[in-house]
Amino acid sequence: MTRKVLLRYSTQKATEPILASVIKKTEILPNILYAELSTKGGEILLSIDAPDKEVDKTIALFKQKGVEVQEIKRAIELDRDSCFDCGACLSLCPTGALYMTDDKSVELDENKCIYCELCVPSCPVRALKLSKF
Amino acid sequence: MVVTAEEMVEIVRERGEVEAAKEVDIVTTGTFGAMCSSGAWLNFGHADPPIKMQRIWLNDVEAYTGVAAVDAYIGATQLSETHGFEYGGGHVIEDLVRGKEIKVRAIAYGTDCYPRKELETTVTKDDINQAVLCNPRNAYQSYVAATNSRDETIYTYMGTLLPNYGNVTYSGSGSLSPLHNDPNYETIGIGTRIFLGGAQGYIFWEGTQHAPTKAMGTIMTIGNLKEMDARYIRGVTVEKYGTSLYVGLGIPIPIINERVAKTTGISDGEIKTDLTDYGTPRRDRPILREVTYSELKSGKVEINGNEVLVSPMSSLKRAREIAGVLKKWIEEKRFFLSQPVEGLSTDQVFKPMKQIAGVPFVRDVMTREVVTAKPSDSIASAAKIFAKRNFDHLPIVDAKGRLVGIATSWDIAVAVGTGKKKLSEVLSSKVITAKEDEPVDAVARRLETHKISGVPVINARGELRGILTNQDLSKLLGGRGR
Ligand code: SF4
Ligand code: SF4
Repeated sequence: MTRKVLLRYSTQKATEPILASVIKKTEILPNILYAELSTKGGEILLSIDAPDKEVDKTIALFKQKGVEVQEIKRAIELDRDSCFDCGACLSLCPTGALYMTDDKSVELDENKCIYCELCVPSCPVRALKLSKF
Repeated sequence: MVVTAEEMVEIVRERGEVEAAKEVDIVTTGTFGAMCSSGAWLNFGHADPPIKMQRIWLNDVEAYTGVAAVDAYIGATQLSETHGFEYGGGHVIEDLVRGKEIKVRAIAYGTDCYPRKELETTVTKDDINQAVLCNPRNAYQSYVAATNSRDETIYTYMGTLLPNYGNVTYSGSGSLSPLHNDPNYETIGIGTRIFLGGAQGYIFWEGTQHAPTKAMGTIMTIGNLKEMDARYIRGVTVEKYGTSLYVGLGIPIPIINERVAKTTGISDGEIKTDLTDYGTPRRDRPILREVTYSELKSGKVEINGNEVLVSPMSSLKRAREIAGVLKKWIEEKRFFLSQPVEGLSTDQVFKPMKQIAGVPFVRDVMTREVVTAKPSDSIASAAKIFAKRNFDHLPIVDAKGRLVGIATSWDIAVAVGTGKKKLSEVLSSKVITAKEDEPVDAVARRLETHKISGVPVINARGELRGILTNQDLSKLLGGRGR
């Protein structure tokens, strides 16, 4: 199962190659969906596709290294019955989570979604729904 | 043989229009997009005692009843009085098609023959006499593609446009576009039977704003709403713009000669449209360049060296489906082509509105004498300026007179309180500005959206030319006699 975790770094921590060392230890290659680093620290949103136990271990490792970890439990849904493949959402999606297939259907790859919500109000028939748990 | 317009492109490419004209009898087209100029005529029958409806609401969306006693026209873009942008005339029309119950409320002044003054009831499409989809302007032959040069997101009838040319939207099915397949109107005219919302409808006039010489021809269409299918008639909300109706429409084109075979064989790569800047809120918007439909349909367009994502807005998949359904209907002899009784105009011009009052521009009303400061000036001197004069904004310019930021009286008060020394420490450099040649209405809207009371006016080089405040605007409104 793919899970998403948001890492928050403080100033000093950001300089340490934490991410690299965790990857080395767990041998799990997370997807970086979004990263914002500045002198004040930063945020990285990871999507980790691994068995639950492994993900738990990864999260624990980050915590050990003093990184603030928050699991993102949200879901975005594309209601196929309602969607009429207009593509209004396509150019607003910053990650390519919403994409068009060869037969001109619009589909959603939730693994790539960063829950920015840009697409939600743009859907003319309200086929995109974001839920928070 | 009956083929879709997409199939025809391949046939003409492979065998040429001469052979194609011999082989193909009919080409079917399709489009499925927002057609704001849509609505439906409804007749409710008479109540007892009878009412001559003066105003009527359907699910809280007002319809027009300035005609006979119980006729009304529900327009797609009319908003609900209780749900705003979330529900409008387009949604009422979809709900009617779906057979849902519609809440009806009407009022009247009462007459000797129609004494009733108020009425409340519910109806479905089966309860009413006629429900006729009647669209004054549909199926634009082609339409521009939109982008946005401004540094803020704008919400338009072409959808949400991200800042700094952040995306592109367009609406049209390109090689499948009904009118584009017969741009000389050799086969399409008044009386042409068409696919309309899943039923069979007709073209009954040229559409409003019909502009054939600019490849922007349109048609007026009519059809029985009761027979339509909600798959092809959908009420929609265009973000922060309003409601509309997506209409599925397809026209069969009989291949009467090689010329028509050729026009139906035109590919997306040959169909061009203007990539237009919707960031300029004027009637004649600046055009960036021409784009082809194959570029648009690829999902990415290049602007100033950047690859920009594209949103089609109209559904290519469903347009294709409509051309396919129409093809099937014809093959199964469930749909018969009709010969137009009259052609569509080929030289009609789309005139701009006659306006009797000139539109004021920023340069006409802005305040030109502006007190400015330099980033190196002290907070104390700025505080003095604010104390002496009654204004809220102090534009800050560099040595060349270019605007680098702005400080408000609030910024200065805070700066004094926190012991800051120089203006450069407090100025906000993200300034909302106006240009001299913008219409005042556009800037008034900007002040309103950002909830600010004034903007510096700059020229193309970024030099400060003046300032436009709410005060300047209210003077103007007084002058306009509002
Ligand atoms: S919320 Fe919507 S726009 Fe944002 S990443 Fe997810 S799918 Fe894309
Ligand atoms: S905007 Fe809505 S209806 Fe259009 S393709 Fe996206 S999800 Fe589907």
